[in-house]
Amino acid sequence: MEDISGALALIGYGLAAIGPGIGIGIVAGNAVQAMARQPEAAGMVRTTMFLGIAFTEALALIGFVLFFLA
Amino acid sequence: MDQLVLAIECDPATDVICTPEFVNDLFETQVVFSIGGFDVNRAMLLMLLAAFAAIALLFFAYRQPRVVPTKFGVAVEGMVGFVRDEIAIGIIGPEGIRYFPYLLSIFLFVLVGNFMEVAPFINFPITSRMAIPAFLAILTWVIFIFVGFAKNGVRYFTDIVWPRSVPVALRPLVGIIEFFSTFLLRPLTLAVRLFANLVAGHVMLSLLLASGWIFVSSVGDIGARSVIGLGWFTIGLAIFLFEIVVSILQAYIFTLLSAVYIQTSVHPEH
Repeated sequence: MEDISGALALIGYGLAAIGPGIGIGIVAGNAVQAMARQPEAAGMVRTTMFLGIAFTEALALIGFVLFFLA
Repeated sequence: MDQLVLAIECDPATDVICTPEFVNDLFETQVVFSIGGFDVNRAMLLMLLAAFAAIALLFFAYRQPRVVPTKFGVAVEGMVGFVRDEIAIGIIGPEGIRYFPYLLSIFLFVLVGNFMEVAPFINFPITSRMAIPAFLAILTWVIFIFVGFAKNGVRYFTDIVWPRSVPVALRPLVGIIEFFSTFLLRPLTLAVRLFANLVAGHVMLSLLLASGWIFVSSVGDIGARSVIGLGWFTIGLAIFLFEIVVSILQAYIFTLLSAVYIQTSVHPEH
């Protein structure tokens, strides 16, 4: 049973990484579009992009923690 | 991770190094020496080194202010100016200058700690041991809660658990979510983000460089197949450069998020 729980936790972490992966892609892609359309606002957009990525990433990180807890 | 390197020199008579500990290995390091029952391990020594390095960086850059600064002075001034203008004042607002010393301290400490991952002869990021990011995150947590209550009184708490900008029917639900995300998930994710990034980088570097070295050094045993080791070594060196970027980025994000959390306590209506 020990082996099975470890493997399931790995799969769970993989599943937890799907959503944030898509989310970070959307955030970064739209930030690049915004920077291309308005280069003078690039600094502000970059800061906001990092914030958005950081908040989106939180879900994947919770999955990472649960992988160790399981 | 480290076991891979240690396993080469593994002596079957001492099973201390040979048994992998897996999870505990991320939370504990081997004791170097102990003073009167107080164990001192490698992470603690490197933590002191990181603190002294951060102090020395500022001391030598600002010891003699000059009209035309040296190259080193310009570099450190650029970094300090970035934290002051972009993070402290840029995020928190004009009163952010009060929190600038704290933000600069954690930025430099985390930066030096992250760079230990790629520093020759150290190759061990202290921020990949949970205690250090967790302590820094708890420090930020205490500061933003204290600032929130000091600036807004009890309304800081009641605005979070009973948000008045939301329709009445949704307020209990949003309140519960906001309570958990503000008081529990914020410090947890802040710490785990730094920890997870540095652990992942450390594991990748250890595996690629160590397996490359093992394969290349076993030419006699496996012959031409040891050439595979060169490929792994090359990928390891590419990851090495990537990890330098990750070190700077994670230090920046840790400081940025600390500033954002303090900002939400200073101006809670935004």
